[in-house]
Amino acid sequence: MTEDHEQLIENVAAYALDSLEGPERARMAAHVGTCERCASQLEEYQAVLGSLPIGLAPIKPPAEAWTAIRTAALQRASRGRMERIIPTKWRWATWPLAVGLVTGMLAWSVWIQREISLRPPGPDVEALARRPGRLVILTGTGVQGASARLLVAVDGRHGHLAIAGMRPLPPGRTYQLWFVPASATPATGGTFVVDTAGRAWVSIAVPMSLDETHVIAITEEPSSGSRAPTGNYLLEANAWR
Amino acid sequence: MRGGDETALEVLYKRYAGLVFTLALRIVGDRELAREVLQDAFLRCWDGRETYDAGRGRVPWWLIGIARNRAIDLLRSRPHQARLREGEIIPGDARTSDPGPWEAADAVGLRRAITSALESLPTAQRRAIELAYYGGLTQSEIASELGEPLGTVKSWTREGMERLRISLWPLIDPKREE
Repeated sequence: MTEDHEQLIENVAAYALDSLEGPERARMAAHVGTCERCASQLEEYQAVLGSLPIGLAPIKPPAEAWTAIRTAALQRASRGRMERIIPTKWRWATWPLAVGLVTGMLAWSVWIQREISLRPPGPDVEALARRPGRLVILTGTGVQGASARLLVAVDGRHGHLAIAGMRPLPPGRTYQLWFVPASATPATGGTFVVDTAGRAWVSIAVPMSLDETHVIAITEEPSSGSRAPTGNYLLEANAWR
Repeated sequence: MRGGDETALEVLYKRYAGLVFTLALRIVGDRELAREVLQDAFLRCWDGRETYDAGRGRVPWWLIGIARNRAIDLLRSRPHQARLREGEIIPGDARTSDPGPWEAADAVGLRRAITSALESLPTAQRRAIELAYYGGLTQSEIASELGEPLGTVKSWTREGMERLRISLWPLIDPKREE
């Protein structure tokens, strides 16, 4: 066994704890993909760590949590079934229709902002201030032909991400959305997988204000997600208003 | 779940929601944020059901990993840090208590084994692992927190994890005969 590999073995535990950073972290991520011994040890450490919460004093979640999860899961399943219902010959129209809808919403947003600037303050102005949301388009050369559209709701905390043209990933890998501030740690917007056609439609919890976000990007990560991007930006956006 | 059957999601939820919520609350110290983590974790499982392998183990460490990552992200968010400074959130500790009435006997046994394994670690090793796992700290941050060299912290982490693996892997190995 080489001295280099000895050092990598030393770091498997810290990597399992997601406690490495920078080049050391990226090096371990690359290594466990090629070394069966380290990958096996990593899996055992991850399983052991996954059991640690069992040692905590158990606390019951609030009863309404399941209701919210079930509702969201049913909505997502329904969207999946709708995709299967739309005839193949009409599926080419779905993205142009979506683009048309988003363009219409943007135009409406511009019109509302104009109305606000023209009217005096009052209850009707407050109603007009309800913008429909903000749209961010992610593009890049990381995956040719791929794109993503992030629509952030008016509350700034929730949104939806529509992805197309991304390569379906093998087991153990996932895509992850990032919100990167100018001078702080990137925050995750969640992980997602695409279907066999390379598409996905995902609800997003927006971790920070878009006004504080410098770049929004998508990378490929291990299936449980990462604390910070470990790969290149496959898609990104750095200008939205 | 692979067939899009939400009944299977409900079964998974009933079995592991308490575990996920307990972990989330331990990390973020706030019930509302812990609920957000709980919902995110199960919905991500639902979204990723195509890649879930039921043979991966007795404890769904993949589900725990999703929940932990989300909780650590919230922990590190600026609003949460501000609330911590203002004393609105009090971080929990890893102390255990008597089993709740809804815990099955085998779960109680496993919990005691895990508690015992953690308590048998030297204090420094246990502290290093807890700061990383529940606090989301990097090895460098732990070294700074404890006032110790980075190499020392890495040794504690490695030795502590190896001790836990030797103690606990036989209990949670998916190939273990029931």
